[in-house]
Amino acid sequence: MQLFGQILVNGILLGGLYGLMGLGMGLVWGVLKIVNLAHGALIMLGGYALYYLYTKAGIDPFLGLPLAMVAMFVLGYVLQTALLNLIVRSAQLNTLLLTFGLDVVFVYMAQLLFSADFRTINPPYAGKNVTISGVVVPYAQFGAFLVALVLAGLLFLVLDKTRTGRAIRATAQNLIAARLYGVNPKRIYAITFGTGAALAGAAGGLYGIVSQITPYIGVTLTAKSFVIAILGGLDKPLGVIGGGLVLGIAEAMAALYLDPTYTDIISFGLLVLVLVARPAQLLGRA
Amino acid sequence: MTEPLFEVRGLTKRFRGLTAVSNVTFRVAAREIVGLIGPNGAGKTTIISLISGTLVPTAGDIVFEGRHIERLPAYRRARLGIGRTFQVMKPFPGLSVLENVTVGALFGTGGGERNRTRAEERAREWLKFTGLERRMDQRADALGGPDRKRLEFAKALAMNPKLLLLDEVMAGLTHVEVDEVVELIKKIREKGVTILVIEHVMKAIRRLADRLLVLHHGQQIAEGRTDEVLRDPRVVEAYLGKRRQ
Amino acid sequence: MNRYRWLALPIAAAALAVVPWFTSDTIVQYGINALLVATLAQAWNIIGGFSGYPSFGNSVFYGLGTYGTAIAMAQLHWSFGSGLVFGAVLGVACALLFGIPILRLRGPYFAIATLGLAAVMSAITATVEIAGKNIGLILPLFRGDTLFYELSLILLVAATGTVAWIARSRFGAGLVAIREDEDAAQVMGINTTTYKVAALTVAALFSALAGGIHAYWITFIDPASAFDPSLNVRMVIMTLFGGPGTVLGPVLGALILSAVSEVLASQATGVASLFYGIVIVAAVLLMPKGLLDLVQGFRDSGWRYFVDNVRRYRI
Repeated sequence: MQLFGQILVNGILLGGLYGLMGLGMGLVWGVLKIVNLAHGALIMLGGYALYYLYTKAGIDPFLGLPLAMVAMFVLGYVLQTALLNLIVRSAQLNTLLLTFGLDVVFVYMAQLLFSADFRTINPPYAGKNVTISGVVVPYAQFGAFLVALVLAGLLFLVLDKTRTGRAIRATAQNLIAARLYGVNPKRIYAITFGTGAALAGAAGGLYGIVSQITPYIGVTLTAKSFVIAILGGLDKPLGVIGGGLVLGIAEAMAALYLDPTYTDIISFGLLVLVLVARPAQLLGRA
Repeated sequence: MTEPLFEVRGLTKRFRGLTAVSNVTFRVAAREIVGLIGPNGAGKTTIISLISGTLVPTAGDIVFEGRHIERLPAYRRARLGIGRTFQVMKPFPGLSVLENVTVGALFGTGGGERNRTRAEERAREWLKFTGLERRMDQRADALGGPDRKRLEFAKALAMNPKLLLLDEVMAGLTHVEVDEVVELIKKIREKGVTILVIEHVMKAIRRLADRLLVLHHGQQIAEGRTDEVLRDPRVVEAYLGKRRQ
Repeated sequence: MNRYRWLALPIAAAALAVVPWFTSDTIVQYGINALLVATLAQAWNIIGGFSGYPSFGNSVFYGLGTYGTAIAMAQLHWSFGSGLVFGAVLGVACALLFGIPILRLRGPYFAIATLGLAAVMSAITATVEIAGKNIGLILPLFRGDTLFYELSLILLVAATGTVAWIARSRFGAGLVAIREDEDAAQVMGINTTTYKVAALTVAALFSALAGGIHAYWITFIDPASAFDPSLNVRMVIMTLFGGPGTVLGPVLGALILSAVSEVLASQATGVASLFYGIVIVAAVLLMPKGLLDLVQGFRDSGWRYFVDNVRRYRI
């Protein structure tokens, strides 16, 4: 029972992070109608950004996180303005292929610049933990979980309360109508993609604290982010966090009750299950 | 009325609580032109999608040439001889006009013409018939509005359908163009095709339809000969009344 | 000139066939790789180029062909021919089994499902006893680069012939209609499910055969190399670069890009892959219909061809 509690806690802590990954994917998908196959690569880049902020500049990872997010926002903004805005109206096949190409570029750029070695962001408090009624809660993991929740809440508030947030939601609903109300779609798209990249970057940074990063972590994270975004519902930040929790707990359980090498297979099984269960009809979207 | 070409009984479609089409029943005889009218959101396009197989009905029967088709996939219905156009036109954008229409000739009723050269010849004839011949080699997405409608027609006709479902093919056309399309539809009927047509342009529907079926909020509120239906006070109130003000 | 165009293909094939007798071993070895990857590109072209379903998981079929052949030869001591058939059966079976559920998915759903499959396949194989778990398998050694070269060439010619048939057939017209608008294709009488599954199955067949030939040539295989996801990158980019949905585009794209990447790969690892990524991005933006269309378009409108492509879909 205590073991079960521990696994549940592990799953929840991991799930919060997964939720954060799904948020960026879902936001971009919902507003731009682009499924960003480079999302996992952006997560990976965020991880390296935070890693170098910590190792080279000595900034505490949790304090460096906003900096990494700003850098990723700028990268996302530029990508959207320079490349993606050119093909948002084209067939979905083209946006898939373009983001796939970007993914390849980022992965191998990272391999050249950062090498293929495993990296972990290792602040002094990593490995320290508190035990609550027999369940171990590592500080770093818990901190990452909290940050994920805070960011999801912030995103919710920004989309709901601010002018730009409302413009983003209006654009997601109806681009032409939003234009009539004076929304500049190019800018809104760039801000949205930038925000998606910043969220991916944050997720990557936190991932680097609780796990390991290599240039190749992106592909599976892209697939997972996609599934989480579907599970949670695209335009509901808190729902997406819920989707992340589902996947996190499922993986933690799989790792316990089956051989740990099966976790990837389980999450892939879940992926196909979610996809084939006709998400479009579940969520009422095309 | 002679033996109907097809018949719809108690047709109902619900989308998560919203009833788009409720208990609609009607028959269409061979070579008839039946108009489907009603205000926006009355469920007209839903009915066409249910008949063509793009949507699956919640309840009810669709009988085509004596055969239940309500559970058949869309492509099987097309092979039985049901062709449709889309309100939001669906050309194959990257293909030439000729290639677009050739797809119709290659598939469609009875599986179509399997030989590609002969299918192309047939497509050319339909392009001539719809007046698109000179646009044959253009890409479909380069066509202007009226030509796109003609293409939508030609694609459906090349399938050699027995029943043609036309979804607002005249919206956005000028008076002259509407007249052209009316003549085109009459010509199609002369070839022995039965036609179910959704239309907002009243002038056209008056000249075209033998009978009308009026929908309002998914309910069938009137059915009968065109001139009689258009005098029906319920129809005037539900639909035409608003327009005359 | 058009009358003699069909002659170009057999002449090119014959020219390629005599290469081993006039060049060095290194060139022949490079040639085997290039021909096999061109076959993979051509196979991808059927599902990705004609039907418009961006499969990022065709490496799975290649890997299954590799493993099927290896298991048959190394574990069951079958002949190479039976091994190839066994590998092909595995690849085709996977396409049927996996294709029927996932081809019901469209656009991104399909893409992600294939991406996921490619990502886990090596992990799955590493748990299978007869596949040598994560250590891999060693096949009987057979030295004969020329034979492997000719086999690869025959396979590429067969794949290209198949695509040439598809491009002119009713089947191909159906696939293209699905690519352009699947709903419209369906109401015009095209059995879209059967068509898509058939396309994926044919793609799987050629990919698996390529894997089988490669396995016997290279004699050692393990999960990481057999199910290398970067193979998907190459298939996609070569097809895209050459011309998706055309007969010769993927072959041309594969042969050109293989040569370029061979040069780049000698510089540093990863440079070639980075180059591929850049080519994908540039191709989607500047020449979405590939090299063949570019040549034609550039002749017609010069530099405006690129400008027009960039402007067409921008917001």
